[in-house]
Amino acid sequence: MDIHETLGSLTQELRRGTLIIGVLSQLSEPQYGYSLVTVLAEKGIHIDPSTLYPLLRRLEKQGLLESRWDTNEARPRKYYLISADGAEVYKQLCEEWNSMKQSLDSLLIGGDGHGDGVN
Amino acid sequence: MEMELIERYIYAVTYRLHEKQRKDIEQELRGLIEDMLDDRLQGRAPSRKDVEEVLQELGNPRLLADQYRGYKRYLISPEMFPFYLTVMKIVLASIGLGMFVAFCVQSIMNPASVLDHFVNSLVTFLNGCLQGFAWVTIIFGLIEYAGVKKDVLNRSVAWKPADLPELPDHQSQIKRSDPIASIIFTILFAVLISFSFDLLGIWRFQDGESASVVPFFNESVMQGFLPFIWIVLALTLLKDCIKLITRKWSVKLLSFDIIISLASLVLLLFMFSDTSIWNNSFMEQIEQIAHIPRNSEDYESLLAIWNASKSVTVYAAVIVMLFAIGSSAYKMFRLIKK
Repeated sequence: MDIHETLGSLTQELRRGTLIIGVLSQLSEPQYGYSLVTVLAEKGIHIDPSTLYPLLRRLEKQGLLESRWDTNEARPRKYYLISADGAEVYKQLCEEWNSMKQSLDSLLIGGDGHGDGVN
Repeated sequence: MEMELIERYIYAVTYRLHEKQRKDIEQELRGLIEDMLDDRLQGRAPSRKDVEEVLQELGNPRLLADQYRGYKRYLISPEMFPFYLTVMKIVLASIGLGMFVAFCVQSIMNPASVLDHFVNSLVTFLNGCLQGFAWVTIIFGLIEYAGVKKDVLNRSVAWKPADLPELPDHQSQIKRSDPIASIIFTILFAVLISFSFDLLGIWRFQDGESASVVPFFNESVMQGFLPFIWIVLALTLLKDCIKLITRKWSVKLLSFDIIISLASLVLLLFMFSDTSIWNNSFMEQIEQIAHIPRNSEDYESLLAIWNASKSVTVYAAVIVMLFAIGSSAYKMFRLIKK
């Protein structure tokens, strides 16, 4: 495996974990799948619909999201909204993320004199 | 035309999914594809190329269905496959060997019609292989379905340090050759008792003619016991598969082993509890084909041998089984004591 492939798969792995936080963050207002793809893309998070749609369904099954069909428009769409449980999970994931970010920053920036300090 | 392609894609995804989800995912997918097309066209009419590009972006429908389902489906999972392959090889080889032996025996007894035997054996052989293949697959499919692999192979679910395997210990380790030999022997025995039962007996060869056999057992009585024998043999095969997979004696496995031995012992005692299982006209048939006159000295000694060997066979079998039970019980005792 050449180094670009390795980098590609590592990057993908790194992104995968953050996707769920990203998705939960945008669902305090009801959104349908494709509008969520667009919103996330505008903010620099690129996610394939073929990844997002099954993910939304899984989060709904885990009780983090609620869904309803809107059939009033010409094209029926399934809207997802964060549930009470989902909001709680989101809050805790954010805390986790922040503490992780802090720890990692201290490693990367080399604040204690041991890191390589790329920045 | 373009719409047809979209429907074909949606179908290719949804037919792999659970019925309850199908309708919902179908509608959602259709909406998604139309949204993606709108996004790309900005009011233009879609061409076939547009549709193809959008579907290409969504990717292989099989993978999308796997994502929706959340897990992959297997008849035999990759974790089980090596064991499946091993057992399959042993079973097919044993069936082949059994059929070959049966063919040789028939050819020796009746050399005039070797070609007939050969054609017949070939048909039986193919039939036997198909049966073996089907049964091994069914057994492993069931093991897969019951999720046995999760307990036996995949202890990572709720792992404790106590789950660590013992360092190799000669008492509890099972040699690979042990279950393999047992599987081969079991299948040979099954082939013998199911297809060539009448070959168990005294053979007499006459010049140029086919050999005649005086069977030891009464065929119709034995036929009645066949289903029970098959059950015991099937349980033995199951036990050997488990032994081959775990390669280690456990209290559970030893209990299962003892239960099978007890069942065989009970079956044996039941079968030989009255003498109808033996061919009761054995002596008369011997008299006819071997031309040994009644009341001669040879006849008397033959009769004595026949009567003695009837009881010796049963006693020997009982002793072997008791020995097997005792050795398993001893293994279990040592395992518990540790």
